[in-house]
Parts: sequence; structure tokens; C-alpha cells
Amino acid sequence: MTVFILLACLGGILVGLSRQLNGRLSISTTPLIASFWNHAIGFCVLTVLGLFVGGLLPAGAAEAPWYAYLGGPIGVIFVAAGSWAIARIGAVNSALLIIGGQMVTGVALDYVSAAPASFWANATGIVLIIGGMVLSRRRSKTSRSQE
Amino acid sequence: MTTETARHAHPIYFIGAFATGGLLTFMVHLNGELAHYGNPLFSSWAAHGTGIIAAVILLLLVRRRRTPTIEKTSNAPLWAYFGGISGAATVILTSTAVNSPLGLSGTLALGLAGQVLFSVAADSWGLFGLPKRRPDIRDIAALGLVVTGGALIILFGRGQA
Repeated sequence: MTVFILLACLGGILVGLSRQLNGRLSISTTPLIASFWNHAIGFCVLTVLGLFVGGLLPAGAAEAPWYAYLGGPIGVIFVAAGSWAIARIGAVNSALLIIGGQMVTGVALDYVSAAPASFWANATGIVLIIGGMVLSRRRSKTSRSQE
Repeated sequence: MTTETARHAHPIYFIGAFATGGLLTFMVHLNGELAHYGNPLFSSWAAHGTGIIAAVILLLLVRRRRTPTIEKTSNAPLWAYFGGISGAATVILTSTAVNSPLGLSGTLALGLAGQVLFSVAADSWGLFGLPKRRPDIRDIAALGLVVTGGALIILFGRGQA
């Protein structure tokens, strides 16, 4: 179990590492070029891995609806936008806002697709997230605290 | 490069980053759909493949409008090209963790924690050639709120996804 916990955490760390590296590349090139390399290198790695492990062309793949293949193109924009943001507002702000955006739209998608959801947990979560995002912006003026 | 830049950064960057998170929701949803018909490795492989095509098309479109002259000052170090390796490894780790007792919500919540810890370290030390921005108490508080809210949604809000 500890192994899985570490794996899951490491997965998150690698997400951050990837954004950091792509952000650095985007400074010397452009965010779109950084996104291109991210996908090209990732594709090579996964191809090699697939050749060893197998399962690269599963039988069911042909039955997937066409729009399921749009995740890749969306990912290109995602990586480019992330590289663009991290070079300008830093890793903490990028992580905070990307996570916030993901959570809020995720909850919205659940409601649209009528997936079972707990209203109060979601509502509280969204309030906290929005509070955090406002707080991160608030810093601009020399701390005008409400106390 | 300074905390000042971050502090007075234009709101468009913040709105952009937030919208980027929204894209992630749809990307994860679609890639999950693809993994459902095939498997996680195929899903990520296909997403990277179609991504290459999309990136090339976008690059051609951009290039057509702007003359391709822009000589950027410094060359990127070789390691900066390895973000894709890290991204590919993420797929393997998370699809392993999802199929453990942690499930999807546990994997997401712990991934959130890992990502946030890394971002604090990255900003504090200016890791991998990006500007150093020492997170202050408000950054940490903001991060705490977002993570708590995110964990609440993942663990208790979104049904037993």
C-alpha cells in the first residue's frame, strides 16, 4: 500500500516536473514548440515501452468514438498554456490555478452529465478553491488586511 | 526575478492558467474514454500521437502569419526537452495507482499533494532554470485552501467515481 501511495505522489511530482521543464523550454523557444517536443518525446518513449510491454494496438480501439481521440489535440493546448503560464506567474500560482480550474470544471461536468455527487462537499470545496485563488491575487496591494 | 513580477503580473495570466485547468478536465475525460476502449498505455500513446499532428498543424498556422525570424536569445539546455519523458512516466504511475486500493480518488488526491509540494520547491529554489519566487505566507495559505477544497471534492464530492 505504501508503494502505491508513493507512486501516486510521484505521479503528481512528475506533473510538476514536466511543467517546469516545458516552461524552461518555452522561454528559449515558444510555448507551442515546447508542447510539440513534449508530445514528440513522450510518443517515442511510449512507443518503445509499448513494443516491450505490448498492448499498443488493443482490439477495442477501433470501436472508440472519434471524439475520444480529441484528448491529444486538447493536450497540446494544455501543455502550451501551462508552459506559458509557469514562465510568467511561477510554479505555485500555476499549480494553484490549474488545479482550481480543473476542480471547478470537473464538478460542473459532473452536474451536466448528472453523475452522482454530494452537493455540500462540492460546494464547500469550490468556495475554498475560489477563496484560495482570490487570496493569491490579493497580494498585489500592500496587504490591506480585513482584520 | 522577482516576486515583484509575480505580484504585478497581468490578470490575463491568471485567467489563462485557470482556463488551462478547465482544458485538463476535458482532456482527462476523453483520454479516459479512450482507455476504456483500449488501455491506459494505448490512450496516452494515441493522445501523444494525435497531439504531434495537432501541434504541427498549429505551428504551421502560426508560422504562416508571422515570419519565422524570431531568434531567441539563449538555447535551451538539452534536459529542457525531457518534459515529455516525465509526462509519459506519469501515465504509467497513475494508471498503476488507479488500479490499486487507492482507486481514482485516492490517486488524484495524492497526485494533487505531490504536484503542490513540487511547485513550492520549484519556486523556492528556482528549479530547472525558471525564476526563483520565494512563496510567502499568503501563497502557502492560498495553496492550502485550494488543496483542501480539491481534496474535499475528490474524496467526498464526486460520488464514488
